[in-house]
Amino acid sequence: MKILLVEDDAETAGFIRRGLTEAGHVVDHAADGPDGLHLAMSEGHDVLVVDRMLPRLDGLGLVRALRAAGIRTPVLFLTARTGIGDRVEGLEAGADDYLGKPFAFAELMARLNALARRPPMATEATTLRVGDLEMDLLRRQVTRAGRRIELQPREFRLLEYLMRRVGQVVTRTMLLEGVWDFHFDPKTSVVETHVSRLRAKLGGEDQPPLIHTMRGAGYVIRAPD
Amino acid sequence: MEQSTRWWRTTAFRVTLLHLLLTLLGTAALSGVAWWATTGFALRQLAQEVDRDSGVLAQAARLGGVRSLAVSIEARLGADRSGTQYYLLAAPDGERLAGNLASAPRAPGWATLRLEGLKEAESPELLALGTPLPGGGFLIVARDVGPVRQLESLLLGAAGWVGGGAMLLGLMGGLLMGRGVTRRAAAMDAALARVEAGEIAHRLPVRTGGDEFDRLARRINAALDRVQGLMQTLRQVTDDIAHDLRTPLTRLRGRLETALRAPDDAGWRAATEAALQDCESLLEIFAALLRIAQVESGARQAGFAPLDLSALAATVAEVYAPAAEERGQRLETAIAPGITAHGDRELLTQALANLLENAVKHGREGGRIRLALTPDPSLVVEDDGEGIPPDQREAVLRRFHRLDAARSRPGAGLGLALVAAVAELHGARLTLGDARPGLRVELALPAPSRPAPGGP
Repeated sequence: MKILLVEDDAETAGFIRRGLTEAGHVVDHAADGPDGLHLAMSEGHDVLVVDRMLPRLDGLGLVRALRAAGIRTPVLFLTARTGIGDRVEGLEAGADDYLGKPFAFAELMARLNALARRPPMATEATTLRVGDLEMDLLRRQVTRAGRRIELQPREFRLLEYLMRRVGQVVTRTMLLEGVWDFHFDPKTSVVETHVSRLRAKLGGEDQPPLIHTMRGAGYVIRAPD
Repeated sequence: MEQSTRWWRTTAFRVTLLHLLLTLLGTAALSGVAWWATTGFALRQLAQEVDRDSGVLAQAARLGGVRSLAVSIEARLGADRSGTQYYLLAAPDGERLAGNLASAPRAPGWATLRLEGLKEAESPELLALGTPLPGGGFLIVARDVGPVRQLESLLLGAAGWVGGGAMLLGLMGGLLMGRGVTRRAAAMDAALARVEAGEIAHRLPVRTGGDEFDRLARRINAALDRVQGLMQTLRQVTDDIAHDLRTPLTRLRGRLETALRAPDDAGWRAATEAALQDCESLLEIFAALLRIAQVESGARQAGFAPLDLSALAATVAEVYAPAAEERGQRLETAIAPGITAHGDRELLTQALANLLENAVKHGREGGRIRLALTPDPSLVVEDDGEGIPPDQREAVLRRFHRLDAARSRPGAGLGLALVAAVAELHGARLTLGDARPGLRVELALPAPSRPAPGGP
């Protein structure tokens, strides 16, 4: 992926850049708002990581200007401002996701992957497939190897969220936000219990597991090798 | 404190001045009316009398000739005891035929005459009417205006006294009123100066009367109460952070030191991972504290909107059902359908999640948890754990407060503090009770004042 990072703090920028480069991505870096806007307008990036507080032109202004110019590159806001209203404000300005500082690098990575590979709305599929697991979005039915699996509505949404991101790591907070619309972190392991229930429903004893736990990162669904 | 206010710029002075001015205007108007009603009336009476007398005498002259007129005039003068009547009857050649006026201009119509040297002390002012007689004679009838002038000066004197008295009273009244205003303003000023100097708990004096000063003072006091409350919250947060973050920070420091001393890579790695975990929980505490502070500031009220309370409760119940099952607990729900409320969906979700989280965590293993939504609307969460002793129920709503029995379990003691803050923000009543056994928490939201749009 080609990623543009707009971040004024040199240390944070270095940390993010190193991590993304190690993961095999190409990273452009701008240290202030106008430079970031200029790069975002001219170079074809897959995804932008924008700090909210930037010199000369803040992140909100940058994203608004970008969207006004018709550039639809996905934007992830990175910010120390994690007030309840701040997230809404950021999304309303045209950002696609919002991550509060400090963050775990795995969280950033997972969210960037999700943003860059987001399918365009026009090619919305009616059936999702992972290995022998099949989800019919119209009839809201799930089958594995032809056998019908009964899911509760929220379990269906959880599985749909994972299947739409097949092969990508999905973090706990992404699931909390995307499936339950929870914008806070419950102390109890609610996500873990939901995932393990779903996993149990999907897999018989003789079937290979589809949902895998990535330690310290999150979950991923993928077809068995 | 600024003391440069000059006395003529005070409200008291202005009030006094205005009061005086109005008093003077009133007195002047009253005197004018009194003059017109008395002196003016007397003058008109006098003129009428002169006119009538002239008419009678002129008639006599026409009927009986000038000679008989002379007799009539002499008779009138002889009968006049007051000495205020004056006449002059002149022949066509100007010779005085009768009367007590020595000479007078031969002008017909009204005139004001002044007699000189007739009486010693004064020279009376006369109101005279000249009438030419048939045959060339001329008659002047006049009256002394003196008595009217006396009345006039008497009135003027009276007006002076009344006006002076009114002015004096006005001055006194104005001063008294002004002094009252000044004194009360000074009292408020002094009280506010003490607050400004740091006595944040000092309040403005409020009398039982309830005039506009008292209303103002009460309003200022209420504003000061609010400011003081916010300051206390801030101080509380600062104290909490100082005291309660010390423990996890110490632990973190210990872990990092262990990492430095670790003999091999594996030990170093394990210690670093543990340190990261500590960082994570520290950040969670910060996030929770910030959120509580944000909720307590009241700023979120601006984002209140109608929300589906039934759906909210169902979602939260569904999220926590597997977690409860994991501890062998049965989560029962009794959610009334179609209940709406006005508030912040995200905060109410988190508040209810915190309550359920507590129930799962502190409820009896293998026990029962109950979540109910009644149409009041009111959210109730019950567990059958150890509950909270009545004397502790208020304390657990404070930040970082943990029951002794709960200290061994994970948590920072911020969950209920957030619930309390969210309840306060929504004007809701939060009650901690006994579920016999266990804890019963009720969050009673204010009833919606208006039916939802589209509702019956």
